[in-house]
Amino acid sequence: MFTRLTVLARWILLVVLVVPVVAGLIGVVFPALGYFPVLGATTFSFDVFKQLNSVDGLGRMVWLSLFTGLGATLLSIAGAFFLLAASYQTKAFRYLQGLLSPLLALPHAATAIALLFVISPSGIIARLFTASGEGVMVSAGMSKWSFAFPYDELGLSVLFALTLKELPFVVLMAMSVMSQPQLSHKFKSYLAIGASCGYTPIASFMKLVLPLVYRQIRLPLLAVVVFATSNVEIPLILGPNNPSTLSVAVFYWFNHIDLSLRLLGSAAAILQVGVSCLALLTFIFVEKIVSKVASSQRIQGTRTFFDFFIITKAAGIVGLYVVLCGLVVYSVIMHSVAQYWVFPALYPSGLTLLHWQTVLGGMLPPIVNTLLLGVAVSVSSVIIVLLALESELLKPTKSTMTLVLSLALFLPLLVPGVAFLYGLVWLQQIVLASATWFHTFIAHLVYVLPYVFMALAVAYRKFDNRYAMVAQSLGKTPWQVFTHVKLPLLTSPILVAWALGASISFSQYLPTLLASGGTLPTITTEAVASASGNSSRVTAVYLIIQALLPLVAFIIAWWAPTLLVNRKRGENGVLSSVSKESEVLNGK
Amino acid sequence: MANNHHRLLLDKITINRHDKALLSINASVEKGHILSVMGASGSGKSTLLHAISGQLASPFTLLGNIVIDGKTMNNVPAYRRKVGYMFQDALLFDHMTVEGNIAFGLPPKKYTTKSARERAILGMLEAVDLSGLQKRAVSSLSGGQQARVSLLRTLASEPKVVLLDEPFSKLDTALREHIRTWTFATLKEQGVAALLVTHDADDAAAAKGDIIELTPC
Repeated sequence: MFTRLTVLARWILLVVLVVPVVAGLIGVVFPALGYFPVLGATTFSFDVFKQLNSVDGLGRMVWLSLFTGLGATLLSIAGAFFLLAASYQTKAFRYLQGLLSPLLALPHAATAIALLFVISPSGIIARLFTASGEGVMVSAGMSKWSFAFPYDELGLSVLFALTLKELPFVVLMAMSVMSQPQLSHKFKSYLAIGASCGYTPIASFMKLVLPLVYRQIRLPLLAVVVFATSNVEIPLILGPNNPSTLSVAVFYWFNHIDLSLRLLGSAAAILQVGVSCLALLTFIFVEKIVSKVASSQRIQGTRTFFDFFIITKAAGIVGLYVVLCGLVVYSVIMHSVAQYWVFPALYPSGLTLLHWQTVLGGMLPPIVNTLLLGVAVSVSSVIIVLLALESELLKPTKSTMTLVLSLALFLPLLVPGVAFLYGLVWLQQIVLASATWFHTFIAHLVYVLPYVFMALAVAYRKFDNRYAMVAQSLGKTPWQVFTHVKLPLLTSPILVAWALGASISFSQYLPTLLASGGTLPTITTEAVASASGNSSRVTAVYLIIQALLPLVAFIIAWWAPTLLVNRKRGENGVLSSVSKESEVLNGK
Repeated sequence: MANNHHRLLLDKITINRHDKALLSINASVEKGHILSVMGASGSGKSTLLHAISGQLASPFTLLGNIVIDGKTMNNVPAYRRKVGYMFQDALLFDHMTVEGNIAFGLPPKKYTTKSARERAILGMLEAVDLSGLQKRAVSSLSGGQQARVSLLRTLASEPKVVLLDEPFSKLDTALREHIRTWTFATLKEQGVAALLVTHDADDAAAAKGDIIELTPC
């Protein structure tokens, strides 16, 4: 019975990952080919693509998407590797994790809005330069700086924001690979051998550890390429407008009051898939070249590897993050309580809680929506994933099924959201027009499931199955083993995966906006809307709440196990020994 | 280099764990000689090797001096000590071929061209009956072949001292004696000073050098 349930969960996982994406793609292919009955378009043709081709600045849009997306991916990977190389096996390694983890939980939209506070014409940097008299004063009291960023034509602000946001992801993915006990032991010996052959620690890391780590994080990196080339909220908030990136153009066309532009949007969405594919191919080409150079460089015997360059760059990156975080925290908190803050003053002329009252007064529905969705989506994801992982043990699958599942996990991450979400919405409106919550729930699930799965799979597959065997030999059913042995021992990773799932759900912009048709405002959709409005003080309040929500989820995930363990210890001795084991398993 | 120096001198060494002494040793090893250090597990054999190679980490601290060719090494980073290290496992790098693994050890200044490196590696492989294997993936080698490639890699880096951390304990009995004889002969021939830690009396006897028994402090 329980076994059947787990197999069912495996199928649910597969269906939720694959069906919305495929259906969504079909839902944009038809309109793109001119078939959209609602608008009276019922003949298939390539006319829409011809129309798209004649759009002014289309080439520029494609270029902007490729340039910002690929540039940010390559920069963030290089930066991440510099940080890892410079800090591996030093104390800084752990601090790095502490510094970057909160940035990973910060929604993309929040990152872009936060940057707005720093680099916009009235932002803190412009204030600092102007106030210190170093800025070149021009008319209307603005410094030269303020004309360049954000919204710069080249897309540099977008590239910068994407890089800042993806770098922690790359570092933390690599760290989670390196912390696997088997690998970390191997790497330690590799470094010892490297040192005994006379290689500096950085050269040893780059030549011996990195190639093996890279293999394991390659798929997530490809997902980063797709994400960065097709992301909407960052170029929407920071990017150039005339023309914008392709993803933002798709977004505008779909949301345009003139419904006939949806056809154009669909064709552009298909083009977006092509652009992301082109980005992937370019990335793989760069990979090939780097790998060729690296493997011949590796055996040349050079005992150093740009050590000074890497250390200084790593220090620079850490410095940049620290300075930016400091500036953001200062200016956002000050804005949220500022009465008036004239340019170029470095602090507001008076303090007030008015903006907090304004926002909190009107914000109850968005907060409730955010939390309800986040909790529902993350809890369902954790349950589905746990059961699906358990099914791997209870009813092992053929290797083809395993392969299909692992590809399916990356499907929503490898197909640009801006491409399939619109098609999905179109289909959802046909099938169940009024089930707004359900549609939004599914759209979130598509993005949350892969990450929850990746987070839990490591811990679950590491679990020493002899515990389960012992329990079964004592006459316990698989269900009893699952609930009484596995779940208690895996409490900590389960909670962390839950918090990750919740924070990803909190951060969703496009899926929320589209699937709900704008009827379910969440903190993230409100924050983005507010960023394009005119009160930066209200935006600051939204931003703070946006940053706090995922942190609260992670704090719960870290604290709850300790609380549970303490309570159990109080109850009786047998359970407390289990709790101790669970601590050992969780590596405390 | 003056001849009156020992190749490796462990000058009144004590290793502390936290603030408690773990082991003490006072010894020297000359070129072409092998010093065997014996002790039960937990006696700190591997920790001693970490100290000599420069990989000692907290909670361990070192008192006394580690001297190679008259030069005190205590504050020299691991990668400048010219101390080779052999573990229980061959630990060949998976992402390189046999040739790549050995080339990794070769000093770049001595072999500046690709063909010079290839020739040197070919010669080394021939000397140990492994010719023809240079392009093979390391995972396709047998245990004995891996052990030999591992030693070649260490020797390729031209170390002054080689540390052996129970390097034969994972080989099966038949192979073990053969690899051991070959390893010791090769080390002596190359004129390096070697320090072997083991709990196997046969290993120590086969090394035909001084034997020190580590006793818990």
